[in-house]
Amino acid sequence: MHLPDGIVPVEMALAGYGASAALAALALARVKALPDPQAEIPRVAMLTTVFFAASLVAVPVPPVSVHLMLGGLMGVMLGWFSVPAILVGLFLQAVLFGHGGITTLGLNGMIFCLPALMAFGLWQLAGRRWPDLVALAAGSGAVLMALAIFAAIVLVGLPVVVDAGAERVALSIFLIAHLPLAMAEGVIVMTLLRVLRRVEPRLLPHG
Amino acid sequence: MADAALNPRARLVIALMLAFGIAAVRGVAVLPVLVALPVLVALAAGQARHILRRLRGAALLALGVVVTLTLISGETVLAQIGPVALRLQGLEAGMLIALRLLSIVAVTLALLAPLSPFQLVAGLRGMGVPALMADLALLTLRYLDELAAELRRARLARRLRGGRTGWRALPDHAFLLATALIRAQARAERLWSAMRLRGYGSGLAVDLAPMRVTDWGAVTAAIIAALALVMLDRAL
Repeated sequence: MHLPDGIVPVEMALAGYGASAALAALALARVKALPDPQAEIPRVAMLTTVFFAASLVAVPVPPVSVHLMLGGLMGVMLGWFSVPAILVGLFLQAVLFGHGGITTLGLNGMIFCLPALMAFGLWQLAGRRWPDLVALAAGSGAVLMALAIFAAIVLVGLPVVVDAGAERVALSIFLIAHLPLAMAEGVIVMTLLRVLRRVEPRLLPHG
Repeated sequence: MADAALNPRARLVIALMLAFGIAAVRGVAVLPVLVALPVLVALAAGQARHILRRLRGAALLALGVVVTLTLISGETVLAQIGPVALRLQGLEAGMLIALRLLSIVAVTLALLAPLSPFQLVAGLRGMGVPALMADLALLTLRYLDELAAELRRARLARRLRGGRTGWRALPDHAFLLATALIRAQARAERLWSAMRLRGYGSGLAVDLAPMRVTDWGAVTAAIIAALALVMLDRAL
């Protein structure tokens, strides 16, 4: 669900860079306020690498195969660190694999970072009380939120020549096609966090 | 312009300048320039064949955009094939998006693909990216192949053992991911110990080579080329 280069007007791409830079600055300020942020870097890098590697592999979700986003899981496990981690991941994906784009890096940052922060907030708010339910909501909700932001950007950014009705139909098909991914991510995040709570609670903000 | 010895920071700046210049194109009159520019950069970088090979994914996406917009957008019908009408305005809009996409991807690949992970991160640091993010990029690149191979092996082993398929396999995928995350945590603890022993302070040691005259020249040429492209587009 990466926004490729050349789709949206350059003004939107620049605005995306501005918004992502502001979000990164806020996240880095929060991270620096932690007791020993440098000690977290290897852990965050390792987990980012796992998320990055996992998102490259297609998981069969009948009737199709999907690439997991794992934004919700990153938000829950990395908290404010998820913002720099996602931005780094998106840059590497654009440069190394051609996923996304170099001009749309900022917009893609918003598509992935905001849902991750939403998942983090949700987990902080109610993760201790209803862990399974919140994990399911964080996993699925992050995908749905990313889809909504993506659709909004495409609706605003596509050329005016595109028929509005046809555009809406195409986006509806796109959103419906991604619903299995939202459900799959919800199930995966719920199961995974259940395992981690039992086996390695240190990996969670409040096991 | 894309000499092999160009500083990584210069390459990143040039890639961004040209990419944004291309992204700013609005009219179809300069489409030939969008074809010529990446060809020139790729030839200068000596990467033409490599880039063509890696453009396949973007080319498929671009084709999809052109076909879709030609079929659904515009008033002027170019041709009618049974119930299907091909429309001029959709074709133009599709070609513009497709060529901007392909041109930016080709320029990015030509300039950045030859860089090693270490050079790429050094370039990022040189552009003022915070040390924390540069370190994240460096460590992610360092362990990506290893962790991706581990995950692939685990998935293959699950299939060979006759693992479940379809929706019922989702918990199994979650278990594999959980195992990978737990291993990553253990590896991160060892890595942090090693980094502290080596005196890790404010960022990992990356070689920030200074910009030379040729680097500044190439950056200036890229800025002029990007501005000229935008001005030509607005003038025509």
